Amino acid sequence: MTGREDRVLRRRYAAAFALLACGCGVCFLWSLCSGSVPIAPGEVLGVLLSGGEDSLAAEVLWKIRLPRLLAGMILGGALALSGYLLQVFFHNPIAGPFVLGISSGAKLTVALAMIFLLERAHGAGAVFLIAAAFVGAMLSMGFVLLVARRVRGMSMLIVSGVMIGYICSAVTDFAVTFADDANIVNLHNWSLGTFSGMNWENVRAMAVVTAAVSACVFLLAKPIHAYQLGEAYAESVGVDLRRLRTLLILFSSLLAACVTAFAGPVSFVGIAVPYLMKALLRTSRPLLLIPACLLGGGLCCMICDMIARTVFSPTELSISTVTAAFGAPVVLFMMVRGKRGEG
Amino acid sequence: MEERLSTKDLAVGYGSVPLIEDIALQVAAGRIVTLIGPNGSGKSTILKTLTGHLPKCGGTVFLHQKPMETYTRRDLARELAVVLTERVRPELMTCRDVVAMGRYPYTGHMGLLRREDREKVASALRLVEAEDLQDRDFLAISDGQRQRVLLARAICQEPKVLVLDEPTSYLDIHHKIGFLEVLRRLTRQRGLAVVMSMHELEFVRRVSDWTVCIKDGAVLRAGPPEEILNGTLIETLFDLPQALYQAYFGNEDAR
Repeated sequence: MTGREDRVLRRRYAAAFALLACGCGVCFLWSLCSGSVPIAPGEVLGVLLSGGEDSLAAEVLWKIRLPRLLAGMILGGALALSGYLLQVFFHNPIAGPFVLGISSGAKLTVALAMIFLLERAHGAGAVFLIAAAFVGAMLSMGFVLLVARRVRGMSMLIVSGVMIGYICSAVTDFAVTFADDANIVNLHNWSLGTFSGMNWENVRAMAVVTAAVSACVFLLAKPIHAYQLGEAYAESVGVDLRRLRTLLILFSSLLAACVTAFAGPVSFVGIAVPYLMKALLRTSRPLLLIPACLLGGGLCCMICDMIARTVFSPTELSISTVTAAFGAPVVLFMMVRGKRGEG
Repeated sequence: MEERLSTKDLAVGYGSVPLIEDIALQVAAGRIVTLIGPNGSGKSTILKTLTGHLPKCGGTVFLHQKPMETYTRRDLARELAVVLTERVRPELMTCRDVVAMGRYPYTGHMGLLRREDREKVASALRLVEAEDLQDRDFLAISDGQRQRVLLARAICQEPKVLVLDEPTSYLDIHHKIGFLEVLRRLTRQRGLAVVMSMHELEFVRRVSDWTVCIKDGAVLRAGPPEEILNGTLIETLFDLPQALYQAYFGNEDAR
């Protein structure tokens, strides 16, 4: 009986991952083809495989679409994973870097750093941006944790996270409005959330950070799984709670910071994707959910970015507009269903 | 007899102010020790301190005659398992997944279960008669079933000492007896040492080898249950008027 159950489950997991991988592949090619300059799929493959750089198509692909697409994929995965870790930490499926104000905190410090420091140095290094965002993310996280200690109940935690987000956004908007220097023309777009204007240096930096953090998170799969049975039981089987909690905070902030540093705030992916992945795999095993979140987040952001840049072309939507349109209903659905389950 | 868990001058409480002091407990292999006392008397506090969930205020807890602090987390988890009162709401976990969590101190870095681990999970489920529940969602079963699954989880951890906090409180009479029977079998057959808190005095008398009464921040008395569970002591322990105790327990005493 156990054997058959196992086989059924294994088939389900394999099918789910195959679906995600195929989705990513198809979306990847489709995104490369579509845009203000349509390129035929054959030509895209030709350029990618030959590495040619002299045609217009090659120029568009290598300089604009490919880095943007890769950034969307990497950051989407990072965002979903960050949300997943926060949900584990708070034992709450509605936790995420955006609703808890962590993205907004990162946004604030990145905006300030860009405005006040870039007048002296030309162009911000990718590492510098991530570092600035990480400081902001940790500050917001600190506030959220302080509040979490005081208030009982998850809804209050979310409300205070949203408030922290608003405060940070207000300060950011203020700074951005009064800093209309030529260097920071793009700052306004960035502060709403966008994957446009990515260069290869950025892509490389975010790939390194996301890969490194994801690998570390993967190694935490065992204690994370035990943590899901509650703190007391986790401790009783030998989990070092303090270490695990610290690492969860550190890694989720780092991932959220990495996203915000390059793409600004991106809403709801951090909540919706882990939820959808759990529904798809019907398991809470981190060993499966961690890679699923990375793939699912990547897929989701690729699709949303494609919608953002092509549907109302040449006008581009901010990425958060699209992710909110898809993600917020998912979250609402989750809350309604969750209520019914408890009642 | 082999002493598994014992305490010396143990003081427990929250923060630096001890709630109960001078606790001396001895739990030998194959024995069941029960803690009884009114709500809020500190039974849970003692148990949480024994398991290391709560820092102690003073004294020493010995596991196999060695101070508890000398054990690593992993080694401690292999010696001591718990069944707690707190409600757990794990998302999307089958009962088998919950039981398999007991293998945590034995699995490798990634927590993958080997054949041997799976067999132990299966036999623990069999022992508590919860095999038919194994593929059900843990949140979808009844309180009584959950308690049995959590006991299987603790058994799976292959402990030498088992600490349970009011394990039978939410169970109906059928499941209370079933649960206690499993505990008795574990102690008699495998030599497990058990410490638990309990409210059901009628069962305390049947299952325990030693009973400790706790009241007003002190150990009121300790001894074999047949000595402890007499009218006067129970009246004092639970502040019961004599007439009431007689009305409810009188016939028990006569037996």
